[in-house]
Amino acid sequence: MQADRRRLNAPAGGTAPPVFAALPNTKLQRQTRTRKPDEHRKLFLQTGIVPSASGSAYYEIPPQSQQQTELLVPQTSSLKITCTVHGPRPLPRNAAFSPNLLLSTHVKFAPFATRNRRGYVRDASERDLGAHLETALRGVVIGERFPKSGCEVVVTVLEGEEDGWWAGSAEGKEGGWGMMSVLAGCITVASAALVDAGIDCVDLVSGGVAAVVHGAGGKDGVLVLDPAPSEHDGEIRAACVVGYLQSRDEVTEMWMKGDAGMQAEQLIDEAVKAASLARAVLAETVKEAAEIKLGKGDESAVPVNEGKGKSKDVVMTG
Amino acid sequence: MANGTAKPTGLAFSRETFAKLTPGPFLQAHLQQAEPVRANGRSLDAFRTPTINTGSLSHSNGSAVVRIGDTAIVCGVRAEVLLASDIPIPPSDDSSEDEMVEQLGLLVPNVELSTGCSPSHLPGNPPSTLAQALSYRILSLLHTANLINLQDLRIQYTEPPTDEDLPDEGPKVVTKAYWTLYLDVLCIALDGNPFDALWAGVLSALQNTQLPKAWWDPDREMIVCSPLASEATRLQLRHLPIASTFAVFSTASPIKARSEAQSWVLADPDDFEEAVCVETVSVVVTSEDDARESVLKLEKCGGGHVGKVEMGQCVRLAHQRWRDWQGVIGG
Repeated sequence: MQADRRRLNAPAGGTAPPVFAALPNTKLQRQTRTRKPDEHRKLFLQTGIVPSASGSAYYEIPPQSQQQTELLVPQTSSLKITCTVHGPRPLPRNAAFSPNLLLSTHVKFAPFATRNRRGYVRDASERDLGAHLETALRGVVIGERFPKSGCEVVVTVLEGEEDGWWAGSAEGKEGGWGMMSVLAGCITVASAALVDAGIDCVDLVSGGVAAVVHGAGGKDGVLVLDPAPSEHDGEIRAACVVGYLQSRDEVTEMWMKGDAGMQAEQLIDEAVKAASLARAVLAETVKEAAEIKLGKGDESAVPVNEGKGKSKDVVMTG
Repeated sequence: MANGTAKPTGLAFSRETFAKLTPGPFLQAHLQQAEPVRANGRSLDAFRTPTINTGSLSHSNGSAVVRIGDTAIVCGVRAEVLLASDIPIPPSDDSSEDEMVEQLGLLVPNVELSTGCSPSHLPGNPPSTLAQALSYRILSLLHTANLINLQDLRIQYTEPPTDEDLPDEGPKVVTKAYWTLYLDVLCIALDGNPFDALWAGVLSALQNTQLPKAWWDPDREMIVCSPLASEATRLQLRHLPIASTFAVFSTASPIKARSEAQSWVLADPDDFEEAVCVETVSVVVTSEDDARESVLKLEKCGGGHVGKVEMGQCVRLAHQRWRDWQGVIGG
């Protein structure tokens, strides 16, 4: 790895991640999916975590079952994403005139987000996610209300979904299925942050992901929504992410991977169903945040010790 | 005018407008009252109370999320293996163990501010001067404080006795590898005073770190670790230094006489205050081996308004803060 001159680098000689020995006594058991095929995992969504940004949101899918504490290696990861929106801000002077809002998205995985440590430099998969996210958001933002302005949507993935079971075989993991759950989460969290920033949108866009999994002995694959790739190690045949607008019944972004065969349309329908479930959480979060904001505006000066205290007003004499 | 008995009436803008238009005089008006108070309602020497959550990241050996007011940071510690045979220039035998941690470069902190934490830190640029300076300050404080024992980071191997060994020589213990700790600190929200929060995050994450049991496998010629949590060891820190930062607001200007300038020392500045203050003081206090508290590091830069009296006051406040934090960090 090239030494990054602006960061503190690894010691000369290079380091390697630890290799774990197989346990002779205990047999590692893969967690299988216990939810129904059309049941989504519990979502947690909160807005307003970064007060200095125009809008922000935090999205989390907590781990399903109690993590086994006897093993140091984590069994599954939860998904944790933060998003901040800075905008609309004026474009720099030398930029060309643009009649619409210039949306720029950045997606970055934290170095501790995945099982293998990632670097700080943005790589191709992160740029790809950024492009997909921009496609999803571009269809929902009313750009012509903000000429000559730009908006930055910055997504940081603190913990990402894995591609398969960590102790399983290496085959079946090349699909990069974890990225699809991450993209669905990014779309939902970016939508919440945009609403928190007050940027005019046509509707709330939410992300949903569904997959075709090898059925038990059958030829036809089983359609499941919100797949956790660590539960379906090597069994995922195809997956699809959509960014969906529920009240207009429109899809702003779709990304399908793998061979779905005859079930392609059903796969898209399942993904749309997953997006509708995510939208329910999104709508509730946004409503609560709006109620808090409006409630704060009505209240008269309440003395607060930490934070912007409304102490007696100061009159500036000329 | 000629009579001039009536006082000019004050301008009737809202507080937020005044703060935006003239931040300096706005803060000065607050501080010049009979009971000085800051624009955010805190008194001059009040610090923000921190909230620390550890162990929330699943892929890190140790992690911490620290919130001080509106500043929030996430720190993750990852341990990787550095083979002794890969070290190009082994440290000399007469350097002490603490120096060896620095020479081998076993602690690698990195501060990432370009996460959109504030409008001035947007991604797409290489690390700014502030981010690089913060990374380096954390590295130098880690080495100065000698927090980690090199013995905790060594992976040793007792060589089996061979025929060439003398009969009364004990078994030879060789260091085969070292644990390298990557401390990645991401700033989620920035509202002034990043250094205190970053240092608290690094400290909590290191305290929370668990290193797996590792040994040298002579057949496979590599280091192998045990995945059982019961065999893992928690990293022991020698002591817990706490950092306190102060900003100095002064009314000095080149056109006024030096003696007319007033200055106030503000503890734990937030973003608004940092924008109008030029001078900062940073004090790191620790207590080694349960002895008396001592000052580990003292930094002052940006101006000349802090003299001996003010510095003594800052150090006293830093000692008080050290005592307050012992409960939060949990010695």
